[in-house]
Amino acid sequence: MVSEWIPIGAGLAFGLGALGTGIAQARIGAAGVGAIAEKQELFGLALVFVALPETLVILGFVIAAIILFVLA
Amino acid sequence: MLQKMTKIQVIGPKDDLHSTVDLLYNLGTVHLEDVSTTIAPGDTMLRRVKAGPKADVTGALVKVSGMFHLLPTTPINEELRAQTYEGLRWKNDEELVKEATQVISELETTTKELATRKSDLEFTLTNLAHYEQVIEKLQPLEAQLPTLEGFEVTVILIQQEFKEVLDIIRAALTEITHNQFELMSADVDATTTAAVTVFNKTYSDQVHSFIWSQNVNEVRLPPEYLDKPFDEVLTLVEDNRKRATAEIGTVNDELTDLSGQWYPRLAVLKDVLEDRNDELSVFTKFGQTDYTFVMMGWVPNKQLAKTKNALKAAFEGRVIVNDIKVSRNEQNKAPSFYDNPRIVKPFEFFTGLMSAPQYREIDPTPLMAVFFPFFFGLMVGDIGYGLCILAFALVVRKIYGLRSHAIKQLMNILIICSFPTMFFGYLFGEFFGNLGQMMGWIEPATINGLTLDRMEIIVPFLIFSIAIGVFHVFLGLSLGLTNAVTRRHKKLICEKVGMLLTLTSIIVILLAAVAVIPALLMLPSVVLLLIGLPLVWYGGGIVAAIDIMSSLTNIISYARLMAIGMASVVLALVANKLGSSMGIVLVGFLVAALLHLVNIVLCMFSPSIQSLRLHLVEFYSKFYEGGGRMYDPFKRGTTK
Repeated sequence: MVSEWIPIGAGLAFGLGALGTGIAQARIGAAGVGAIAEKQELFGLALVFVALPETLVILGFVIAAIILFVLA
Repeated sequence: MLQKMTKIQVIGPKDDLHSTVDLLYNLGTVHLEDVSTTIAPGDTMLRRVKAGPKADVTGALVKVSGMFHLLPTTPINEELRAQTYEGLRWKNDEELVKEATQVISELETTTKELATRKSDLEFTLTNLAHYEQVIEKLQPLEAQLPTLEGFEVTVILIQQEFKEVLDIIRAALTEITHNQFELMSADVDATTTAAVTVFNKTYSDQVHSFIWSQNVNEVRLPPEYLDKPFDEVLTLVEDNRKRATAEIGTVNDELTDLSGQWYPRLAVLKDVLEDRNDELSVFTKFGQTDYTFVMMGWVPNKQLAKTKNALKAAFEGRVIVNDIKVSRNEQNKAPSFYDNPRIVKPFEFFTGLMSAPQYREIDPTPLMAVFFPFFFGLMVGDIGYGLCILAFALVVRKIYGLRSHAIKQLMNILIICSFPTMFFGYLFGEFFGNLGQMMGWIEPATINGLTLDRMEIIVPFLIFSIAIGVFHVFLGLSLGLTNAVTRRHKKLICEKVGMLLTLTSIIVILLAAVAVIPALLMLPSVVLLLIGLPLVWYGGGIVAAIDIMSSLTNIISYARLMAIGMASVVLALVANKLGSSMGIVLVGFLVAALLHLVNIVLCMFSPSIQSLRLHLVEFYSKFYEGGGRMYDPFKRGTTK
């Protein structure tokens, strides 16, 4: 019974992290494009800001990896 | 590396002020400071230098630049240019402006006339093309139009999305002309519809007024085209176009003749006026007494002797340079000057994304030059991809490198990154994914019995990535501690030491809890934690305490080194798998090549951004403060 929940848990950990990252990146991306339209020099910084929320999906990935490879 | 700077004071007789400014401008070593900010209120001895007759120079420069850009470019003999420059350089402002005025008076009228004529003719050509396009579309409708004496033809243009306005116009014309009109339309292109209407001239004013009120674009044909059949109009348009084109050719020839005669002189005059304008723009930063001038600025230590010697040689001791001993606080306000080796220079582009480092702060660029390619290589890790990235970067740098400094630097970074990519590709045994292994060309390396096949070492690779994170974050904190010690900032020292102790103890406790290290180490770690936490609290307050958690998250964030790498490997494997599963070899090759191409493009972007992010967010946040100002020497092309 437990083993069936392991891949689901891993999937949830990764998927929800990715969802959160997606929502955050959508907003930051839109704001970043707006900022670049006003000041083109901000392109580099905007790119870094867009990459910021990827920590969420990375954390989700780490948890998923722990669930799959350590707990399983 | 950030260079040490010395504050200097230059003093000399007022007669030598212009020559001194000119010499410093050409030397390009001094970052000028505003002396006037140091003049005490009521000081009768030292005053600010007035701007002088700058307006004349600026006015002449504007006119000369305007004419220079109107003339076609003509190759200039560089030797002659340098000679003419030297001849003009030593003239004073009045002589220079006089020279410019003479050139302007000889050239201005002719140049402007020719330029205006050319611009009018180009406008005519654009209009003719427009008429031709509309009339060609309407020509098939001509047969349906009534040819009645006393009727007027008008063409209007409407954007496709507002096409319904035609119905409004039709209804209005019915009312205005009492149904004595005809209206037909045809699409000119994807966005525009042209409509031709014929109506009784009696209603001309009312119809035009109505069309104008609807904000519709009416094509006003020139009088010579009115009341003529469309085919005759098209012939006339063609004749006029040929005439205008020939005339533009004549104007161009005249401009080229003029350019051949004047371009080199104008180019040099423009250079000299620009330089003089730059020089005059800084005069207000200087101070003066009745007989002397005073300037202040910062010079990198390694260029101090050169600056002193140049002034000594030029003025035979009349202009002197004093090193000023400044307080530690004032020294901290010195401009920051990187002087990195050639291989590190491209990474200054990334550091430039942050605000300038403060003087005495550690320049993070050399560290980035080590870790950025390492992270990039670890993520991409493929010999084939490394070769492709190297070839791409070399080609793009060759084509666009001279045009854009940013592209040149980015390509240099990619070139540097391609080598660790190939090195890690060799370790992982990857050549376009598993193609190298399938062909028997390469195998993953084995270290301590562990075969470095990325698909097989998921957990060890994840642990290795996080270990890199621990090292990088601790390195950042150590640099932060060094910065704090250099600046003698006690609270910051406490915060950084506390953070190092706390993070070390948390990591040891976690490792002991999962039995990776002996449980015996748990107790000393708790003691370290109890020492570290109060230090963090004392140094940075609650924000620093919260920062402990964010530092732990930062460490885990390095897992992306493995995650992004995995994504790249899997896509490469999919490319090979799909390619090999195709029945026809050529199709299989094309499918695999296309997918690898997509992966290579992704590999150039994603690992670069992730690596940059690991530096700017995870690493720099541990030590980098910024908020300084960059060394901006007074020299050609930098004065705003």
